[in-house]
Amino acid sequence: MARPADLLQGTLDVLILKTLTLEPMHGWGITLRIQQISGEVLQVRPGALYPALSRLEHQGWITAKWATTEAGRRAKYYSLTRAGRHQLEREAEQWRRLSGAVTTIVDMA
Amino acid sequence: MPTRLHHRVVAALRSFVHRDAVEHELDDELRFHLEQLEAHQVARGSARTDAPLEARRRFGGFEQVKEACRDMRTLRPLEEFLRDLRSGVRLLVRSPVFAVVSILSLALAIGANTVMFSVVDAVLLRPLPYRFPEQLAMLWTEDPTQNLREGRSAHWNVEQWRSQSQSFADMATFDAVSKTLTGADEAEQIVGASISPNLLPLLGVQPVQGRNFSTEEAEQRQRLVLISHRLWQARFGGSNDAIGATIVLDGLPSQIIGILPVGFQIARLDADVWEPHTISEDRETRNSVRGGDTWFVVGRLRPNVTFDQAQAEMSAIASRLNDQLPAADRNRGVSVVPLSRHMVGSQSRLALWMLGGAVFCVLLIAAANVASLALARSVGRAREMAVRAALGAGAGRIVRQLLTESVVLTVVSGLIGTLLAVAGIRLIRAYGPGNLARLNEVSLDLRVLGWALVISLLTGMLVGLAPAITTLRRDLRPSGEEGGRSISAGASSRRIRRALVVAEFALAIVLLVGAGLLVRSWWHVESIDAGFRPERVLAMELSSPSAFSLPAQRADLYHRVLEQIGAVPGVESAGIIGDLFIGNTREQVLTTEGDNGAVSERLRFQRDEVSADFFKALGTPLLRGRFFSVVDGPDAPRVAIINDAFARRSWPGRDPVGRRFKLGPRDADGPWYTVVGVVADMRRQGLEREPVPQMFESLAQNPPRSVDLFIRTSTDDSLAMAGALRAAVRRVEKHAPIYGVAPLEEQLGTYVAQRRFQTSLLTGFSVVALLMAAVGIYGLIQYSIATRTQEIGLRMAIGAQAGDIFRMIIAEGLTLSLTGLALGLVGAWWLGRAGSSLLFGVTATDPLTFMTVSLLLTAVAAAACYFPARRAMKVEPIVALRQA
Repeated sequence: MARPADLLQGTLDVLILKTLTLEPMHGWGITLRIQQISGEVLQVRPGALYPALSRLEHQGWITAKWATTEAGRRAKYYSLTRAGRHQLEREAEQWRRLSGAVTTIVDMA
Repeated sequence: MPTRLHHRVVAALRSFVHRDAVEHELDDELRFHLEQLEAHQVARGSARTDAPLEARRRFGGFEQVKEACRDMRTLRPLEEFLRDLRSGVRLLVRSPVFAVVSILSLALAIGANTVMFSVVDAVLLRPLPYRFPEQLAMLWTEDPTQNLREGRSAHWNVEQWRSQSQSFADMATFDAVSKTLTGADEAEQIVGASISPNLLPLLGVQPVQGRNFSTEEAEQRQRLVLISHRLWQARFGGSNDAIGATIVLDGLPSQIIGILPVGFQIARLDADVWEPHTISEDRETRNSVRGGDTWFVVGRLRPNVTFDQAQAEMSAIASRLNDQLPAADRNRGVSVVPLSRHMVGSQSRLALWMLGGAVFCVLLIAAANVASLALARSVGRAREMAVRAALGAGAGRIVRQLLTESVVLTVVSGLIGTLLAVAGIRLIRAYGPGNLARLNEVSLDLRVLGWALVISLLTGMLVGLAPAITTLRRDLRPSGEEGGRSISAGASSRRIRRALVVAEFALAIVLLVGAGLLVRSWWHVESIDAGFRPERVLAMELSSPSAFSLPAQRADLYHRVLEQIGAVPGVESAGIIGDLFIGNTREQVLTTEGDNGAVSERLRFQRDEVSADFFKALGTPLLRGRFFSVVDGPDAPRVAIINDAFARRSWPGRDPVGRRFKLGPRDADGPWYTVVGVVADMRRQGLEREPVPQMFESLAQNPPRSVDLFIRTSTDDSLAMAGALRAAVRRVEKHAPIYGVAPLEEQLGTYVAQRRFQTSLLTGFSVVALLMAAVGIYGLIQYSIATRTQEIGLRMAIGAQAGDIFRMIIAEGLTLSLTGLALGLVGAWWLGRAGSSLLFGVTATDPLTFMTVSLLLTAVAAAACYFPARRAMKVEPIVALRQA
């Protein structure tokens, strides 16, 4: 099965961690949030999202808790751990450097 | 505040321990996502009926997503391993016949391999228990003109070697001596060792208590003694009081100064008392001997000196020394033999490696059989594998599953095999050949257990590999074409199985030919005439107490003992000889009177003293002349009975009776002996060795200090008379030590014990190999018919007769077995030459053995194919075709 998001695995991790800085969220919420904020540019498929969440949880960057949604449905909410916050800072910094470099090259006259 | 590590551990453990709950949550979580996606689709205007399908499509494969999530778990590899383990066990439980057959055959093979390894390890691989044992060597005197190899040496020579050699750091001498240990109630005959004071330091062995004797003490001929750990326990109960205590050896007190470590031996000399080599009474005469004497010599090489360098130097020294020796003695050389090689001779080494190889072949055959069975099953499991692949299992994952399943099988077999090995090791220690050095060290230790584990795992890999490879080669697409009932089902797996059967037969042939050759050798050895009839004869050894120091006293003692024994009911005849079984004979100069006057020559020769009825008691036939009688007393002229080998050598074609000979050169002081009789050759050095020239003189004329007694009884259980015979001797002399009471047949048996051991083991292995190969071909043919039922039905429908089908199946089986036979015969021919030194009276290419084995194997293969072929004949074409 082709998973375009695989190429951006590190990127997806940053996106998830960043999304969770605001509040604990379930997988569907993360999908929606990334989609909205990116102006529908980034589509996160479940086949990429859930393995990434599982990995981040086993890495200790995020932690999960079951809670009830506004509609009264139980869902698994993920929240950032303290270590996760630091990790986000590191990865965000790396991403800025990388994207800045790529932009510089692409925009070169 | 929980740390990152804490989160990680919690996550890892939770998904491992509460696996069901975690799985449930994963399912819930994904389902929630799907529901939301569905609602989202509806909100975006999809028709309510299309929404679920659309959501499903967008979501992707539900099970694949789950599998991808599981792959992210920290303990995932362990989880998978356990699951494979469970599925492996379930699989075995589900097909009990396969499980029992496989586990039993593998357990037998692994058990046998473990036992064999424990023997090879103890006897050949483990270093000797001395400091830097790889530097130790035995030094032997040799004389090619006398066919003397590994001869013992004289003290004078050893001193010359020691002072002239640069290669050796030191050399020590030792010899075995028989000692009478007088205790409170009874005298006992024990093995003693006479050693130079530097022996223990040279070996790097320290007494566990007390000390070694010094060079000065040895020079002063002080009666000091070190005792074995065994004697220390038996006599002193391991008490510290032993040091300084006195024991009486040969009637004289000796002071104990040290206790040796448990099991201490040197070059298979396992003595209870170790004395300075200077103590012996004939020390002065022995020190003057040049050339050959009775000392064993062990040397330690200097660091970084090889055995070859040492040998070269010793040969040079020996040739220099020859100029200082008497003229008849100038062909002496020295051979340097690594101690480890001396301990276990090249024949035993070869035999052990051969048995080790044979038992490994049995394991290979068993593994091939189980692999073949597993292959047959793997064809049936093709669909299962395809489904697994469809659910997201990668190729590596599936191979890992198959390997784990087979490793489960072999580890269970390995456990049972190890239990069998425990029993096997007990058997080997109890019934193995006693003359194989270090066999008493065989035990089930960590090394042996490690070996059992390694071969179990390797077998598991071998067994699992074939199904894994064919599974990989097959497309893992879920079409299930090959899994279906088609004629080409498992074509590649059938090719592998055919190859396995051919290999099994080839290996079985090699083993069978080897066993056949050994059995033929065994028959040859058994049919050898030992020169005496050992049945119903009881042997015992008798020492004369030290009070009997004069020859006349001893002659009288032996005479009265024979009288008393002869009076015991059930005794037919009784005789005495100095020593019946002899090791390497010493060479000596002999002067014989022939047609052309007296001739002196040096030869390996044996001299003994016998009582009048000795040959009668042993059943050795008299060829010419007469036996001894009362007239051959101490004051009568010296007479001798000689053996046939002596007669043939010194008086070829003449009657030796009445001729004279003397020991030593013509001008020696010794008496001339007149030959009065010739007896048949007795094989006293082992059945497989040609007898050397031997002379027997009258016991009355030269009674030795200790003798062998042989009593021919009228009962088959001669040992039952031991008590009565012992009492008869006691009536003559209360303190005479009696020991080594055993039926003569049993004593003779130790000579052939090693041959019997290797022959029966190899025969056992090869029979097991043959049976396994037969089971293998039976299974293959059976399976091949099962998968070809349609084809057979079709053939019959278009006119094939039952006989044609029968011939077709038999031909298939015979093609395989004959291919294996051809390969195996080549292998056997090649290996046979390497092992030819183990054979006796038969060549390594013995046509009879090769033909018998070929016929046997073909018959077994035909029988194994016969039953499935009979069943194939009964196939109903209609039924077979309907199944299509």
